[in-house]
Amino acid sequence: MSDLVWRSAAELGRLIAKKEVSPVELVRALLDRIAALDGKLRSFITVCGDQALEAARAAEAELMAGRVAGPLHGVPYGPKDLYNTKGIRTTGGSKILADSVPATDSTVVARLGTAGMLVLGKLNMHEFAYGPEGLNAHYGDAWNPWDANTHRVAGGSSSGSGVAVAAGLCPAALGSDTGGSIRIPCSLCGISGIKPTYGRVSRAGVLPLSWSMDHAGPMARTVADCALMLGAMAGYDPADPTTSVLPVPDYAAALTGEVKGLRVGLLRAHFTDVAAPEVRAAVDAAAKALEQAGAVVDEVNLTEVAHVAAASFAIVATEALAYHAGWLRARAADYQRDVRERLTMGALVSGVHYVRAQQVRQLVRAEVDAALARRDVLLAPATPIPAPVLGEKEARLGDGTSDVRSALIRFTRPFNLSGHPACSVPCGFTAGGLPVGMQFVGRPFDEATVLRAGDAYQRRTDWHTRRPVLA
Amino acid sequence: MLPPMEINLDTLRCVTRLAGFDWTDAELDAIRPMVQRTLDMLARLEALPLGEVEPATQYRVL
Repeated sequence: MSDLVWRSAAELGRLIAKKEVSPVELVRALLDRIAALDGKLRSFITVCGDQALEAARAAEAELMAGRVAGPLHGVPYGPKDLYNTKGIRTTGGSKILADSVPATDSTVVARLGTAGMLVLGKLNMHEFAYGPEGLNAHYGDAWNPWDANTHRVAGGSSSGSGVAVAAGLCPAALGSDTGGSIRIPCSLCGISGIKPTYGRVSRAGVLPLSWSMDHAGPMARTVADCALMLGAMAGYDPADPTTSVLPVPDYAAALTGEVKGLRVGLLRAHFTDVAAPEVRAAVDAAAKALEQAGAVVDEVNLTEVAHVAAASFAIVATEALAYHAGWLRARAADYQRDVRERLTMGALVSGVHYVRAQQVRQLVRAEVDAALARRDVLLAPATPIPAPVLGEKEARLGDGTSDVRSALIRFTRPFNLSGHPACSVPCGFTAGGLPVGMQFVGRPFDEATVLRAGDAYQRRTDWHTRRPVLA
Repeated sequence: MLPPMEINLDTLRCVTRLAGFDWTDAELDAIRPMVQRTLDMLARLEALPLGEVEPATQYRVL
């Protein structure tokens, strides 16, 4: 039964529906694994053992009574610890909210509950989601499971989500993505995840970092699992005025495995061309594999992306400081140092800077739209480097050295600014055994095509099936 | 736009006080390199020829 913990959410849902696997047995197996491994991995902030077992028994009883909520009935998952969960503390990875227990679920958690999923626990993260390394001074730094001997970062801010899924501690998770916080840990931990279009998934009940850049999305070992979860999560929510009224397609049905004729634009300048050599080679090989499968691949350059760092900074720093100003004035010492310093930088951004950043946003959005006018998806590395060692300060890229933090968010952040959907999938490993991730970027609200491309790639490769060796 | 300024401790103290933060000189001194990098980045944003580009003042929600 140890194999159970490595089954995909879709497989588990099928086995549960056929009564071949008990949700209770599954939750027990996962809790045992968490107890054995998470002391080192630090992927959970709160493990909900009793509540999860109780929910599993209820799911089993429903099943025995002939009531199945859907293909995810009885499947456990972990929300990043910034999704409000009724009766379960939601810390945001912070000391400030260490004892905060929400009275209601966030919309997404409620919807996944309606779909039959069970909350196994709340997952670790960079404090208040403000950092791409996934570090946490209060609950411990998550350990990337792909290197048992050296403490490498998991990527963030959804670090616990990346680690827990990659290490087989839970089959699926929720992350949030403001500058890459779903796709970066997916890339560094060798799993899959999608940042949907801005407005596709409700952010109601999710602690904000930057209202206009935050996206909520699923993380799992397969794109097919992400499609199932996204289908359950997405759609209009009166509690989030930015959500779209567009109907939610059947994402799972869109996974045909077919890419014949799919027009793929490989992003060169500012993306693939400046990635570390092993990352560049893996993404080039993936583009060739797609071509061999019938996709039509050409090369694209986005020039406005050069201005994304400054514009994104101005927007995120301003919005983050607006949210945190009260706590920062009253409880500055309770923030971990890097987050406190980053938040303080928001005080240097003027109203003029903020508006100019929104002008850049318009240019970037228009340029990505134009690139997608003649293509179905764009393809790029998700991160320019594999998982760095904890404390590593500099990364060597194709166009010189960069601080690690800037390097990690460089390829993902443009699509937070533009709002386009982007799905990260594993596309190889370095010689040292670290995962490499790439991202498919699609037209607004066309998650179906993005997911189809990622799933089709996974049907032809086995990168996503590899498992880390855990000491 | 004015050219980017070198920021000293007094200036930084004024800026943070204006934002409502009462931080020690040691704390402010520690963030000066980050402040300088931030000001350089914002100066690049100021220098962009954005002309009459309409800012993205609304979410693109359908």
